[in-house]
Amino acid sequence: MIQVHDLHKRFGAVRALDGASFHAADGRITALLGPNGAGKTTALRILFGLLQRDAGTVDIDGIDPGTAPLAARRRLGILTDQVGLYERLTTREHLAYFGELHGLDRRAIAQATDEVVALLGMDDIIDRRANGFSQGQRLKVALARALLHRPRNLLLDEPTRGLDIMSTRALRRALCALRERGCCILLATHVMQEVNQLADEVIVITHGRSVLQAAPAVLREQTGADDLEDAFVQLIGNDEGIAA
Amino acid sequence: MSNESHPILPGLVSILRKELRETLRDRRALWMVGLFVVLYPLLMGASLHKMIEREARAEREQNRVAVIGAGSVPNLVQQFEEAGIRVDAIDPLDDAGIAALLARREHTALIRVPEAFAPRFAALRPAPLELWQDSSVAQTAKLRRVETVLRGYGQDIAQARLLAHGVARGVAQPVQLQQYDTASRASRSGKLIAAIFGVFFVATFYFCMNLAIDSTAGERERRSLELLLAQPVPPAAVIGGKWLAAALLCVVGLGLELLFGHALLTALPLEEIGLSWRLALPTLLGVLATAIPLCLFAAAFEIALALNSRSFKEAQTAVGFALLLPLLPIVIVPMLELETAAWMYAVPVLAEQTLLLELARGHAVPISAFLSTAGVSLLAAAAALGVAIRRLRSERFVLGI
Repeated sequence: MIQVHDLHKRFGAVRALDGASFHAADGRITALLGPNGAGKTTALRILFGLLQRDAGTVDIDGIDPGTAPLAARRRLGILTDQVGLYERLTTREHLAYFGELHGLDRRAIAQATDEVVALLGMDDIIDRRANGFSQGQRLKVALARALLHRPRNLLLDEPTRGLDIMSTRALRRALCALRERGCCILLATHVMQEVNQLADEVIVITHGRSVLQAAPAVLREQTGADDLEDAFVQLIGNDEGIAA
Repeated sequence: MSNESHPILPGLVSILRKELRETLRDRRALWMVGLFVVLYPLLMGASLHKMIEREARAEREQNRVAVIGAGSVPNLVQQFEEAGIRVDAIDPLDDAGIAALLARREHTALIRVPEAFAPRFAALRPAPLELWQDSSVAQTAKLRRVETVLRGYGQDIAQARLLAHGVARGVAQPVQLQQYDTASRASRSGKLIAAIFGVFFVATFYFCMNLAIDSTAGERERRSLELLLAQPVPPAAVIGGKWLAAALLCVVGLGLELLFGHALLTALPLEEIGLSWRLALPTLLGVLATAIPLCLFAAAFEIALALNSRSFKEAQTAVGFALLLPLLPIVIVPMLELETAAWMYAVPVLAEQTLLLELARGHAVPISAFLSTAGVSLLAAAAALGVAIRRLRSERFVLGI
């Protein structure tokens, strides 16, 4: 469970976050929607303890990443918007490396590896080196390493970017399965279709402030718009930054 | 930023293992290590081999002089032969003929006795004697021996004449110069050994370069650093793992280089140029142990530097330039021919080099010099690591990755 209240962060004169508040519950997929530069990445970086907030509170399963970043990270599975792999390592070695960094022993790593391979359907690449992987394969490895330590909370930054239809569907199925297991999934995305199909809740954030948090249906109702995209545009006041 | 305590070691070991595994699969990195393992020993071996060959050839080839008009100077011919210089009496030649003869390099020099020699000699007046040589053919040592004989010849005649006039031999020779060379074989060899190790140490900074850059600037370039920093591992473990991996590669590379160099120098007949290479394996291991702090420093220095670059290439340029600084002492100090002083043990790289020079010369080295040498490198390494860890913690750095 992730709770953020009145988050502020400025870089010099720029207010990256200016009073953002939202929460993401266990067993639900919460979409974080916002135009480019709205403060999504800054918020995520504060959640995993790479940046310090200026004001506000953050709570991840009762842990404050500002004071205990390492404990907070152990409860987070992270997929950043940049999928950097080590070209000379195999998928299995990637998973073992990140499992070790999370403090898993060898047996736990082997077991968890089998699980994520089954969940994401990646038998074909498990013992191949990352050099030459397609964008979809890279994303699978990145997601697998985020899931390996069975985190209670998942932070995903545009997870379907660059994926073909089959991979996207596989990813959606995986996310739904994780939701069934009670995972708290926070999904930063631009893709409205994904929000429609997956999200239980939508947070709209713009200019560093959260303007609304509600179920997609409620969002449409409140704005009186027929589809989510129109509702989103109405909420942020213009149509900048929408790439569907 | 954080008040939680977390063990550094497990994460550090994982990162160290992963960096080494990646490097061992990187053909370019391995080639670089392999190149520096053999490069300096081979260069050194080749130049020593050349020296030995030159010396051996000089010994093999006889010193020969050609003499035109040998009949007028029988004593000179005899003195040449006593000095082991062969005399070939030849018929008169013109200037071009003499040049052609010398150009064939069979003779060190040509001596022409002009016709005026005999009458002037008999009249006790300075008798002309011509020494022809081709200075474009470097045979300095041989030529010096010829000149020495010629000078001796002149002096002998002068003394014989004075004796005939009742002047004692010693009057005309107030000073008798005797030359001694105090450089023992050990001290001359010591200088050589220290110079060789000094050059071998240059490679220290190149063994770890690829890993240091690839694991920092390379990881930034491939966009994997942010995720690594978002793992539950303290920054000290991230830097520590990469640092020790680089330093370990450095120690292994240096060890291989020293072994290879040792094998090469043992195989060369250095005795022929008055040198010797007698280092026992324990001494060699001692040298390597002395260099371990240097390896730790080299790795930390390069990591702290490369962390600031966004790409492998950028870091390579920056590190390449910055390396001139620690490598400068290796080049400059031998040129200045300074006396060994305490301050030298306080400058990284120079300290290691000085220590080796003293050890190889057979001097007693105070324990403080050892401590200072290791201490200053370790301190410099710690400072570089501190800078690198602070950098990872800074928000500016996080925003830039």
